[in-house]
Amino acid sequence: MTHSTTHATTRTATPSFTLVITGAPYSSQAPQTALSFAKATVAAGHTIDRVFLYGDGVHLASALVAAPSDETHWPKRWAAFLEEHEIPGVACIASALRRGLVDGDEQKRYQLGANNLLKPFTIAGLGEWVEGNIKSTRTIYFHAGA
Amino acid sequence: MGMLIIIDQPPYGTWAGREALDMAFALAAFDQPVSLLFSGAGVNWLRKAQDTAGIEQKSVEKNLAAAPIFGIKAILADRAACERYNLDIKTMIDGAQLTDANAELMAQYSQAAFAG
Repeated sequence: MTHSTTHATTRTATPSFTLVITGAPYSSQAPQTALSFAKATVAAGHTIDRVFLYGDGVHLASALVAAPSDETHWPKRWAAFLEEHEIPGVACIASALRRGLVDGDEQKRYQLGANNLLKPFTIAGLGEWVEGNIKSTRTIYFHAGA
Repeated sequence: MGMLIIIDQPPYGTWAGREALDMAFALAAFDQPVSLLFSGAGVNWLRKAQDTAGIEQKSVEKNLAAAPIFGIKAILADRAACERYNLDIKTMIDGAQLTDANAELMAQYSQAAFAG
């Protein structure tokens, strides 16, 4: 089960959203539910300012996911959606580093043997979430649920 | 006004609460008003004299003690949950306030977010 918590404050006339995904693919339905929501949002003519991956949600940005061929590849599915609609997808750096998700810069910084960040995702700090929270009319959370 | 970050999970055994606390610190760092509400098993975050040596984890008590310094407005503890876990103002860290986690409390904030 996946649930989302909606918190609304009207700040501008055109609805815009920041989506926060904290549940990992294949252990929770959070990324799938978030993608369905994101597609419906765009179809309705609303704006998604950014998608922020936090906690276990950062696994969605891994380039090393190799799902069975008869299952949906959620990282690729999300990456294609973000590219198509030019929406920034940001993984929290603290969550990412703890869980072994790194880009080229972090690989050098920590002298790691590889990097595995899937394009077009980027890695950045919680400030990205704060900024989205301020900018967007609504911030919606997709958790792993009970 | 501002955001209420709700931590309803115990301090050890899951990282969700720690990451929720980081969110609160990030908001405070950007001068966004933020308070913390501990409910359910989450009230155990507030217990004094936590000894975590045996589980090789940092005590969350130290993290929380820094909250007011970083600009977090209030550390709230749900009264009913505190009773369930045998906590009161004397056995909780300094600065924690008892409250009733109800609609009236939520109405004081423009947003609320749960730990994953």
